Amino acid sequence: MAVFQAALVNEIEKLYKKKKALVAVLLALAVIVIGQLAIVGVRSGFGLRGAGSVEFPMLVLSVVVNTILPLFTALVAIDSFSGEFSQNSMRITLTRPVSRFKIFTAKITAIALFILAMLFLLLFFSMLAGFIFNTNSATWVSVFQTVFSYIVSLLPMLVLALGVVLLANTFKNGISVFFVAILLFIGLKVLGVLFSQYSSLFMTTQLDWYNLFLINSFPLGKIIRQFLIMLGSCIMLFTAGFYLFDKKEF
Amino acid sequence: MEKIIEIKNLTKLYGNGRGIKDINLDIFQGDIFGFLGPNGAGKTTAMKIMTGLIRPECGDVTIFGHSVTEEYELAMEKVGCLIETAESYSYLSAFDNLKQLARYYPDVDHKRIDEVLELTGMIKYKHEKPKKFSLGMKQRLGLAAAVLSRPKVVILDEPLNGLDVEGMIAIRKLIQHLAEQEQTTFFISSHLIHDVELTCTRIGVIYDGKMLNVESTPNILKNYATLENYFVSEVERNGRVSSCAS
Repeated sequence: MAVFQAALVNEIEKLYKKKKALVAVLLALAVIVIGQLAIVGVRSGFGLRGAGSVEFPMLVLSVVVNTILPLFTALVAIDSFSGEFSQNSMRITLTRPVSRFKIFTAKITAIALFILAMLFLLLFFSMLAGFIFNTNSATWVSVFQTVFSYIVSLLPMLVLALGVVLLANTFKNGISVFFVAILLFIGLKVLGVLFSQYSSLFMTTQLDWYNLFLINSFPLGKIIRQFLIMLGSCIMLFTAGFYLFDKKEF
Repeated sequence: MEKIIEIKNLTKLYGNGRGIKDINLDIFQGDIFGFLGPNGAGKTTAMKIMTGLIRPECGDVTIFGHSVTEEYELAMEKVGCLIETAESYSYLSAFDNLKQLARYYPDVDHKRIDEVLELTGMIKYKHEKPKKFSLGMKQRLGLAAAVLSRPKVVILDEPLNGLDVEGMIAIRKLIQHLAEQEQTTFFISSHLIHDVELTCTRIGVIYDGKMLNVESTPNILKNYATLENYFVSEVERNGRVSSCAS
Protein backbone atom coordinates (compact mmCIF):
# COMPACT_ATOMS: atom_id res chain seq x y z
CA MET A 1 0.00 0.00 0.00
CA ALA A 2 2.88 2.38 0.84
CA VAL A 3 4.30 1.82 -2.66
CA PHE A 4 0.92 2.61 -4.25
CA GLN A 5 0.63 5.75 -2.10
CA ALA A 6 4.08 6.85 -3.25
CA ALA A 7 3.12 6.26 -6.89
CA LEU A 8 -0.14 8.18 -6.41
CA VAL A 9 1.55 11.15 -4.69
CA ASN A 10 4.07 11.24 -7.55
CA GLU A 11 1.32 11.26 -10.18
CA ILE A 12 -0.57 14.02 -8.38
CA GLU A 13 2.62 16.08 -8.05
CA LYS A 14 3.35 15.68 -11.78
CA LEU A 15 -0.20 16.70 -12.66
CA TYR A 16 -0.06 19.71 -10.35
CA LYS A 17 3.31 20.94 -11.61
CA LYS A 18 2.35 20.74 -15.28
CA LYS A 19 0.86 23.81 -16.92
CA LYS A 20 -2.03 21.82 -18.45
CA ALA A 21 -3.81 21.43 -15.11
CA LEU A 22 -3.57 25.18 -14.49
CA VAL A 23 -4.90 25.97 -17.98
CA ALA A 24 -7.82 23.59 -17.35
CA VAL A 25 -8.66 25.41 -14.11
CA LEU A 26 -8.43 28.84 -15.75
CA LEU A 27 -10.59 27.75 -18.69
CA ALA A 28 -13.18 26.28 -16.32
CA LEU A 29 -13.32 29.60 -14.46
CA ALA A 30 -13.59 31.44 -17.79
CA VAL A 31 -16.67 29.37 -18.67
CA ILE A 32 -18.31 30.48 -15.43
CA VAL A 33 -17.43 34.14 -15.97
CA ILE A 34 -18.62 34.12 -19.61
CA GLY A 35 -21.78 32.22 -18.68
CA GLN A 36 -22.58 34.63 -15.88
CA LEU A 37 -21.94 37.67 -18.08
CA ALA A 38 -24.24 36.21 -20.75
CA ILE A 39 -27.02 35.71 -18.18
CA VAL A 40 -26.61 39.21 -16.77
CA GLY A 41 -26.62 40.57 -20.34
CA VAL A 42 -29.81 38.65 -21.27
CA ARG A 43 -31.49 39.82 -18.06
CA SER A 44 -30.65 43.51 -18.36
CA GLY A 45 -30.88 43.67 -22.17
CA PHE A 46 -34.04 41.65 -22.82
CA GLY A 47 -35.61 41.56 -19.40
CA LEU A 48 -35.55 37.76 -19.37
CA ARG A 49 -34.89 35.79 -16.21
CA GLY A 50 -31.96 33.67 -17.48
CA ALA A 51 -31.05 31.38 -14.61
CA GLY A 52 -31.72 31.36 -10.87
CA SER A 53 -29.13 30.93 -8.10
CA VAL A 54 -29.06 27.10 -8.16
CA GLU A 55 -30.04 26.83 -11.81
CA PHE A 56 -26.82 28.51 -12.89
CA PRO A 57 -24.51 25.70 -11.59
CA MET A 58 -26.72 23.17 -13.45
CA LEU A 59 -26.46 25.25 -16.61
CA VAL A 60 -22.66 25.32 -16.22
CA LEU A 61 -22.59 21.54 -15.65
CA SER A 62 -24.67 20.83 -18.74
CA VAL A 63 -22.20 22.85 -20.83
CA VAL A 64 -18.86 21.70 -19.36
CA VAL A 65 -19.76 18.02 -19.13
CA ASN A 66 -20.09 17.89 -22.93
CA THR A 67 -17.25 20.27 -23.82
CA ILE A 68 -14.24 21.32 -21.76
CA LEU A 69 -14.37 18.58 -19.14
CA PRO A 70 -14.07 15.68 -21.66
CA LEU A 71 -11.46 17.71 -23.54
CA PHE A 72 -9.22 18.26 -20.52
CA THR A 73 -9.81 14.76 -19.20
CA ALA A 74 -8.59 13.45 -22.57
CA LEU A 75 -5.58 15.80 -22.56
CA VAL A 76 -4.56 14.83 -19.02
CA ALA A 77 -5.02 11.09 -19.76
CA ILE A 78 -3.02 11.35 -23.00
CA ASP A 79 -0.28 13.33 -21.27
CA SER A 80 -0.10 10.83 -18.43
CA PHE A 81 0.45 7.90 -20.81
CA SER A 82 1.39 8.88 -24.39
CA GLY A 83 3.38 11.91 -23.14
CA GLU A 84 5.51 9.74 -20.88
CA PHE A 85 5.87 7.01 -23.53
CA SER A 86 7.19 9.47 -26.13
CA GLN A 87 9.60 11.23 -23.73
CA ASN A 88 10.76 7.88 -22.31
CA SER A 89 10.08 9.28 -18.85
CA MET A 90 7.90 6.25 -18.09
CA ARG A 91 11.19 4.41 -17.52
CA ILE A 92 11.90 6.60 -14.47
CA THR A 93 9.02 5.01 -12.58
CA LEU A 94 9.14 1.58 -14.21
CA THR A 95 12.68 0.85 -13.01
CA ARG A 96 11.74 1.44 -9.35
CA PRO A 97 10.42 -1.24 -6.96
CA VAL A 98 6.80 -0.74 -7.98
CA SER A 99 4.70 -3.08 -10.10
CA ARG A 100 3.13 -1.97 -13.38
CA PHE A 101 -0.33 -2.61 -11.93
CA LYS A 102 0.31 -0.12 -9.13
CA ILE A 103 1.69 2.46 -11.56
CA PHE A 104 -1.32 2.04 -13.88
CA THR A 105 -3.80 2.24 -10.99
CA ALA A 106 -2.03 5.29 -9.53
CA LYS A 107 -2.24 7.07 -12.87
CA ILE A 108 -5.96 6.30 -13.25
CA THR A 109 -6.61 7.40 -9.65
CA ALA A 110 -4.76 10.68 -10.27
CA ILE A 111 -6.87 11.31 -13.41
CA ALA A 112 -10.04 10.55 -11.42
CA LEU A 113 -8.94 13.00 -8.70
CA PHE A 114 -8.26 15.63 -11.37
CA ILE A 115 -11.81 15.21 -12.75
CA LEU A 116 -13.26 15.37 -9.24
CA ALA A 117 -11.23 18.49 -8.40
CA MET A 118 -12.40 20.16 -11.62
CA LEU A 119 -16.04 19.29 -10.84
CA PHE A 120 -15.77 20.66 -7.30
CA LEU A 121 -14.05 23.81 -8.53
CA LEU A 122 -16.78 24.38 -11.11
CA LEU A 123 -19.46 23.65 -8.51
CA PHE A 124 -17.98 26.06 -5.98
CA PHE A 125 -17.46 28.99 -8.34
CA SER A 126 -20.72 28.51 -10.26
CA MET A 127 -22.65 28.39 -6.99
CA LEU A 128 -20.82 31.48 -5.77
CA ALA A 129 -21.62 33.31 -9.01
CA GLY A 130 -25.21 32.03 -8.89
CA PHE A 131 -25.79 33.31 -5.36
CA ILE A 132 -24.10 36.67 -5.95
CA PHE A 133 -25.64 37.61 -9.30
CA ASN A 134 -28.91 35.67 -9.44
CA THR A 135 -30.98 36.54 -6.41
CA ASN A 136 -33.71 33.90 -6.73
CA SER A 137 -34.23 31.98 -3.53
CA ALA A 138 -32.83 28.46 -3.36
CA THR A 139 -34.07 25.53 -1.30
CA TRP A 140 -31.81 23.04 0.50
CA VAL A 141 -33.21 20.27 -1.72
CA SER A 142 -32.17 22.08 -4.88
CA VAL A 143 -28.70 22.78 -3.45
CA PHE A 144 -28.34 19.10 -2.55
CA GLN A 145 -29.50 18.06 -6.03
CA THR A 146 -26.92 20.37 -7.60
CA VAL A 147 -24.06 19.03 -5.47
CA PHE A 148 -25.18 15.45 -6.14
CA SER A 149 -25.39 16.08 -9.91
CA TYR A 150 -21.78 17.27 -9.93
CA ILE A 151 -20.57 14.29 -7.89
CA VAL A 152 -22.32 11.64 -10.03
CA SER A 153 -20.86 13.22 -13.19
CA LEU A 154 -17.51 11.75 -12.12
CA LEU A 155 -18.55 8.24 -13.22
CA PRO A 156 -19.20 8.90 -16.95
CA MET A 157 -16.08 11.09 -17.08
CA LEU A 158 -14.09 8.18 -15.64
CA VAL A 159 -15.45 5.86 -18.35
CA LEU A 160 -14.34 8.42 -20.92
CA ALA A 161 -10.89 8.75 -19.30
CA LEU A 162 -10.43 4.96 -19.29
CA GLY A 163 -11.43 4.87 -22.96
CA VAL A 164 -8.76 7.46 -23.75
CA VAL A 165 -6.20 5.54 -21.66
CA LEU A 166 -6.97 2.42 -23.71
CA LEU A 167 -6.40 4.41 -26.91
CA ALA A 168 -3.16 5.86 -25.47
CA ASN A 169 -1.91 2.34 -24.88
CA THR A 170 -2.98 1.26 -28.37
CA PHE A 171 -1.56 4.06 -30.53
CA LYS A 172 2.06 5.19 -30.38
CA ASN A 173 1.51 8.88 -30.91
CA GLY A 174 -0.31 11.23 -28.53
CA ILE A 175 -1.70 13.33 -31.41
CA SER A 176 -3.19 10.21 -33.04
CA VAL A 177 -4.81 9.32 -29.72
CA PHE A 178 -6.28 12.81 -29.42
CA PHE A 179 -7.76 12.80 -32.93
CA VAL A 180 -9.10 9.26 -32.69
CA ALA A 181 -10.66 10.17 -29.31
CA ILE A 182 -12.33 13.27 -30.80
CA LEU A 183 -13.60 11.32 -33.83
CA LEU A 184 -14.98 8.58 -31.58
CA PHE A 185 -16.61 11.19 -29.31
CA ILE A 186 -18.33 12.87 -32.28
CA GLY A 187 -19.21 9.49 -33.80
CA LEU A 188 -20.83 8.26 -30.60
CA LYS A 189 -22.75 11.56 -30.25
CA VAL A 190 -24.14 11.11 -33.79
CA LEU A 191 -24.94 7.42 -33.16
CA GLY A 192 -26.71 8.44 -29.96
CA VAL A 193 -29.03 10.67 -32.03
CA LEU A 194 -29.52 8.21 -34.92
CA PHE A 195 -30.11 5.17 -32.72
CA SER A 196 -31.75 6.79 -29.73
CA GLN A 197 -33.21 3.45 -28.52
CA TYR A 198 -29.64 2.23 -27.84
CA SER A 199 -28.29 5.59 -26.68
CA SER A 200 -27.92 4.49 -23.04
CA LEU A 201 -25.11 2.18 -24.16
CA PHE A 202 -22.97 5.02 -25.53
CA MET A 203 -20.56 6.75 -23.17
CA THR A 204 -21.31 10.16 -24.70
CA THR A 205 -25.00 9.84 -23.74
CA GLN A 206 -24.03 8.76 -20.25
CA LEU A 207 -22.35 12.13 -19.69
CA ASP A 208 -25.83 13.59 -19.06
CA TRP A 209 -26.94 10.83 -16.70
CA TYR A 210 -27.08 13.26 -13.76
CA ASN A 211 -30.43 14.39 -15.26
CA LEU A 212 -31.94 11.08 -14.10
CA PHE A 213 -31.51 12.21 -10.49
CA LEU A 214 -33.42 15.43 -11.13
CA ILE A 215 -36.60 13.74 -12.37
CA ASN A 216 -39.38 13.96 -9.76
CA SER A 217 -40.51 10.32 -10.26
CA PHE A 218 -36.90 9.17 -9.57
CA PRO A 219 -36.43 6.31 -12.09
CA LEU A 220 -34.48 3.94 -9.81
CA GLY A 221 -34.46 1.04 -12.28
CA LYS A 222 -33.05 3.21 -15.04
CA ILE A 223 -30.44 4.70 -12.69
CA ILE A 224 -29.26 1.24 -11.58
CA ARG A 225 -29.13 0.03 -15.20
CA GLN A 226 -27.09 3.05 -16.29
CA PHE A 227 -24.81 2.69 -13.27
CA LEU A 228 -24.15 -0.97 -14.04
CA ILE A 229 -23.47 -0.24 -17.73
CA MET A 230 -20.90 2.40 -16.71
CA LEU A 231 -19.37 0.16 -14.04
CA GLY A 232 -19.05 -2.66 -16.58
CA SER A 233 -17.49 -0.26 -19.10
CA CYS A 234 -15.02 0.92 -16.43
CA ILE A 235 -13.98 -2.65 -15.58
CA MET A 236 -13.60 -3.69 -19.23
CA LEU A 237 -11.70 -0.55 -20.27
CA PHE A 238 -9.44 -0.69 -17.19
CA THR A 239 -8.62 -4.37 -17.83
CA ALA A 240 -7.95 -3.86 -21.55
CA GLY A 241 -5.86 -0.73 -20.85
CA PHE A 242 -3.80 -2.47 -18.19
CA TYR A 243 -3.28 -5.55 -20.39
CA LEU A 244 -1.72 -3.38 -23.10
CA PHE A 245 0.28 -1.32 -20.57
CA ASP A 246 1.66 -4.48 -18.96
CA LYS A 247 2.74 -5.91 -22.32
CA LYS A 248 4.40 -2.68 -23.46
CA GLU A 249 8.17 -2.63 -24.01
CA PHE A 250 10.16 0.45 -23.06
CA MET B 1 30.95 -15.33 -2.79
CA GLU B 2 27.22 -14.68 -2.80
CA LYS B 3 25.50 -14.82 -6.18
CA ILE B 4 23.64 -11.55 -6.63
CA ILE B 5 22.38 -11.69 -10.23
CA GLU B 6 21.64 -14.92 -12.04
CA ILE B 7 20.79 -14.84 -15.73
CA LYS B 8 19.48 -18.16 -17.04
CA ASN B 9 18.85 -19.09 -20.69
CA LEU B 10 17.79 -15.54 -21.46
CA THR B 11 16.39 -15.16 -24.97
CA LYS B 12 14.69 -12.24 -26.68
CA LEU B 13 14.62 -11.89 -30.44
CA TYR B 14 13.18 -8.92 -32.32
CA GLY B 15 11.50 -9.00 -35.72
CA ASN B 16 14.76 -8.00 -37.44
CA GLY B 17 16.49 -11.11 -36.07
CA ARG B 18 18.61 -9.15 -33.57
CA GLY B 19 18.38 -9.59 -29.82
CA ILE B 20 19.89 -12.06 -27.37
CA LYS B 21 20.04 -15.84 -27.51
CA ASP B 22 20.35 -18.19 -24.56
CA ILE B 23 22.46 -15.99 -22.30
CA ASN B 24 23.70 -17.44 -19.02
CA LEU B 25 25.60 -15.30 -16.57
CA ASP B 26 26.26 -15.06 -12.82
CA ILE B 27 27.27 -11.86 -11.06
CA PHE B 28 28.71 -12.06 -7.55
CA GLN B 29 28.73 -9.65 -4.64
CA GLY B 30 31.25 -6.85 -5.01
CA ASP B 31 31.77 -7.50 -8.73
CA ILE B 32 32.19 -4.55 -11.03
CA PHE B 33 31.10 -6.39 -14.13
CA GLY B 34 31.88 -4.86 -17.51
CA PHE B 35 29.50 -5.87 -20.26
CA LEU B 36 31.20 -5.36 -23.60
CA GLY B 37 29.99 -5.86 -27.13
CA PRO B 38 29.75 -4.10 -30.49
CA ASN B 39 26.72 -1.97 -31.40
CA GLY B 40 23.58 -4.08 -31.73
CA ALA B 41 25.15 -7.05 -29.93
CA GLY B 42 22.31 -7.15 -27.38
CA LYS B 43 23.78 -5.33 -24.35
CA THR B 44 20.87 -2.93 -23.87
CA THR B 45 18.30 -5.68 -24.54
CA ALA B 46 19.82 -7.80 -21.77
CA MET B 47 19.90 -4.82 -19.40
CA LYS B 48 16.33 -3.87 -20.22
CA ILE B 49 15.18 -7.39 -19.38
CA MET B 50 17.19 -7.23 -16.13
CA THR B 51 15.34 -4.08 -15.12
CA GLY B 52 11.88 -5.25 -16.26
CA LEU B 53 11.52 -2.79 -19.13
CA ILE B 54 10.98 -5.63 -21.58
CA ARG B 55 10.00 -9.26 -21.10
CA PRO B 56 12.13 -12.19 -22.24
CA GLU B 57 10.80 -14.80 -24.67
CA CYS B 58 12.28 -17.46 -22.42
CA GLY B 59 14.68 -17.67 -19.51
CA ASP B 60 14.72 -15.43 -16.47
CA VAL B 61 16.80 -13.06 -14.38
CA THR B 62 16.89 -13.35 -10.62
CA ILE B 63 18.27 -10.63 -8.39
CA PHE B 64 18.86 -11.58 -4.75
CA GLY B 65 16.92 -14.78 -5.55
CA HIS B 66 13.82 -12.95 -6.76
CA SER B 67 12.64 -13.33 -10.33
CA VAL B 68 12.38 -10.06 -12.27
CA THR B 69 9.39 -11.39 -14.22
CA GLU B 70 7.53 -12.90 -11.26
CA GLU B 71 8.48 -10.82 -8.18
CA TYR B 72 9.42 -7.49 -9.68
CA GLU B 73 9.04 -5.32 -6.55
CA LEU B 74 11.21 -7.65 -4.44
CA ALA B 75 13.79 -8.10 -7.19
CA MET B 76 14.15 -4.32 -7.69
CA GLU B 77 14.11 -3.39 -4.00
CA LYS B 78 17.90 -3.06 -3.77
CA VAL B 79 18.61 -2.15 -7.40
CA GLY B 80 19.50 1.21 -8.90
CA CYS B 81 19.80 1.63 -12.64
CA LEU B 82 20.43 3.91 -15.55
CA ILE B 83 19.33 2.47 -18.90
CA GLU B 84 20.28 3.99 -22.29
CA THR B 85 19.78 7.69 -21.57
CA ALA B 86 19.27 9.42 -18.25
CA GLU B 87 15.59 10.38 -18.22
CA SER B 88 14.11 13.08 -16.02
CA TYR B 89 10.92 15.14 -15.85
CA SER B 90 11.77 18.40 -17.59
CA TYR B 91 9.15 20.40 -15.64
CA LEU B 92 10.50 19.37 -12.19
CA SER B 93 13.72 20.65 -10.60
CA ALA B 94 16.67 18.29 -10.11
CA PHE B 95 15.73 18.04 -6.42
CA ASP B 96 12.04 17.35 -7.17
CA ASN B 97 13.02 14.71 -9.72
CA LEU B 98 14.95 12.84 -7.04
CA LYS B 99 12.19 13.47 -4.49
CA GLN B 100 9.80 11.60 -6.81
CA LEU B 101 12.06 8.55 -6.65
CA ALA B 102 12.79 8.93 -2.94
CA ARG B 103 9.12 8.28 -2.12
CA TYR B 104 9.58 4.61 -3.05
CA TYR B 105 12.26 4.15 -0.37
CA PRO B 106 11.38 4.78 3.28
CA ASP B 107 15.04 5.37 4.26
CA VAL B 108 15.70 8.10 1.70
CA ASP B 109 15.18 11.61 3.03
CA HIS B 110 15.99 15.12 1.79
CA LYS B 111 19.47 14.87 3.35
CA ARG B 112 20.23 11.81 1.20
CA ILE B 113 19.00 13.65 -1.92
CA ASP B 114 21.44 16.49 -1.17
CA GLU B 115 24.17 13.92 -0.53
CA VAL B 116 23.81 12.25 -3.97
CA LEU B 117 23.55 15.64 -5.68
CA GLU B 118 26.83 16.57 -3.95
CA LEU B 119 28.41 13.22 -4.93
CA THR B 120 27.59 13.74 -8.61
CA GLY B 121 28.50 17.43 -8.61
CA MET B 122 24.93 18.57 -9.18
CA ILE B 123 24.25 20.35 -5.89
CA LYS B 124 24.64 23.81 -7.49
CA TYR B 125 21.87 22.97 -9.95
CA LYS B 126 19.58 21.54 -7.29
CA HIS B 127 16.70 23.92 -8.03
CA GLU B 128 17.15 24.10 -11.80
CA LYS B 129 14.98 22.20 -14.24
CA PRO B 130 16.64 19.53 -16.46
CA LYS B 131 15.30 21.11 -19.67
CA LYS B 132 18.20 23.56 -19.40
CA PHE B 133 20.79 20.86 -18.58
CA SER B 134 23.55 19.66 -20.92
CA LEU B 135 23.80 15.94 -21.78
CA GLY B 136 26.53 15.51 -19.16
CA MET B 137 24.46 17.20 -16.45
CA LYS B 138 21.46 14.99 -17.28
CA GLN B 139 23.76 11.98 -17.08
CA ARG B 140 25.00 13.08 -13.65
CA LEU B 141 21.42 13.49 -12.48
CA GLY B 142 20.65 10.00 -13.81
CA LEU B 143 23.60 8.61 -11.86
CA ALA B 144 22.43 10.43 -8.74
CA ALA B 145 19.02 8.76 -9.22
CA ALA B 146 20.68 5.35 -9.67
CA VAL B 147 22.57 5.49 -6.36
CA LEU B 148 19.92 7.43 -4.41
CA SER B 149 18.50 4.47 -2.49
CA ARG B 150 21.95 3.12 -1.45
CA PRO B 151 21.33 0.12 -3.73
CA LYS B 152 23.23 -3.15 -3.36
CA VAL B 153 23.19 -3.61 -7.14
CA VAL B 154 23.66 -0.88 -9.71
CA ILE B 155 22.97 -1.53 -13.41
CA LEU B 156 24.43 1.14 -15.67
CA ASP B 157 24.09 1.28 -19.44
CA GLU B 158 26.69 3.67 -20.89
CA PRO B 159 27.02 5.68 -17.65
CA LEU B 160 29.80 7.91 -18.97
CA ASN B 161 27.89 9.11 -22.04
CA GLY B 162 28.27 12.86 -22.46
CA LEU B 163 30.50 13.31 -19.40
CA ASP B 164 33.62 15.46 -19.53
CA VAL B 165 36.99 14.04 -18.38
CA GLU B 166 36.52 15.42 -14.87
CA GLY B 167 33.07 13.83 -14.71
CA MET B 168 34.35 10.48 -15.97
CA ILE B 169 37.08 10.38 -13.31
CA ALA B 170 34.61 11.38 -10.59
CA ILE B 171 32.10 8.69 -11.60
CA ARG B 172 34.83 6.06 -11.89
CA LYS B 173 35.99 6.92 -8.36
CA LEU B 174 32.41 6.82 -7.11
CA ILE B 175 31.89 3.33 -8.57
CA GLN B 176 35.14 2.03 -7.07
CA HIS B 177 34.36 3.64 -3.71
CA LEU B 178 30.87 2.07 -3.53
CA ALA B 179 32.18 -1.35 -4.59
CA GLU B 180 35.00 -1.32 -2.02
CA GLN B 181 33.34 0.39 0.94
CA GLU B 182 29.73 -0.75 0.62
CA GLN B 183 30.21 -3.98 -1.35
CA THR B 184 27.89 -2.62 -4.05
CA THR B 185 27.73 -4.84 -7.12
CA PHE B 186 27.92 -3.10 -10.49
CA PHE B 187 26.81 -4.27 -13.91
CA ILE B 188 28.12 -1.77 -16.45
CA SER B 189 28.03 -1.60 -20.21
CA SER B 190 30.25 0.95 -21.91
CA HIS B 191 31.89 1.68 -25.24
CA LEU B 192 34.73 3.46 -23.45
CA ILE B 193 36.94 0.40 -23.21
CA HIS B 194 39.76 2.20 -21.42
CA ASP B 195 37.40 3.16 -18.64
CA VAL B 196 36.05 -0.38 -18.40
CA GLU B 197 39.61 -1.62 -18.05
CA LEU B 198 40.30 0.83 -15.25
CA THR B 199 37.01 0.24 -13.41
CA CYS B 200 35.73 -3.31 -13.92
CA THR B 201 36.92 -6.41 -12.12
CA ARG B 202 35.23 -8.93 -14.45
CA ILE B 203 34.49 -8.68 -18.13
CA GLY B 204 31.85 -10.40 -20.25
CA VAL B 205 31.80 -10.11 -24.02
CA ILE B 206 28.55 -10.38 -25.95
CA TYR B 207 28.53 -10.72 -29.73
CA ASP B 208 25.59 -11.19 -32.05
CA GLY B 209 23.30 -11.84 -29.08
CA LYS B 210 25.47 -14.60 -27.60
CA MET B 211 27.75 -14.52 -24.57
CA LEU B 212 31.28 -15.26 -25.79
CA ASN B 213 33.39 -15.24 -22.69
CA VAL B 214 33.50 -14.11 -19.07
CA GLU B 215 36.89 -13.51 -17.50
CA SER B 216 38.42 -11.49 -14.68
CA THR B 217 40.23 -8.31 -15.74
CA PRO B 218 43.61 -9.32 -14.18
CA ASN B 219 43.46 -12.66 -16.06
CA ILE B 220 42.73 -10.91 -19.34
CA LEU B 221 45.58 -8.45 -18.80
CA LYS B 222 47.97 -11.37 -18.18
CA ASN B 223 47.46 -12.55 -21.76
CA TYR B 224 46.71 -9.30 -23.57
CA ALA B 225 48.40 -5.92 -23.44
CA THR B 226 45.09 -4.09 -23.16
CA LEU B 227 41.42 -4.88 -22.79
CA GLU B 228 40.92 -3.43 -26.25
CA ASN B 229 43.21 -6.15 -27.72
CA TYR B 230 41.25 -8.83 -25.87
CA PHE B 231 37.92 -7.43 -27.04
CA VAL B 232 39.03 -7.14 -30.68
CA SER B 233 40.48 -10.64 -30.61
CA GLU B 234 37.30 -12.14 -29.11
CA VAL B 235 35.03 -10.34 -31.55
CA GLU B 236 37.21 -11.12 -34.57
CA ARG B 237 37.53 -14.77 -33.60
CA ASN B 238 33.79 -15.07 -33.28
CA GLY B 239 33.21 -13.10 -36.47
CA ARG B 240 35.51 -15.50 -38.35
CA VAL B 241 33.72 -18.51 -36.88
CA SER B 242 30.33 -17.07 -37.87
CA SER B 243 31.47 -16.24 -41.42
CA CYS B 244 33.08 -19.70 -41.82
CA ALA B 245 29.90 -21.33 -40.61
CA SER B 246 27.79 -19.36 -43.07
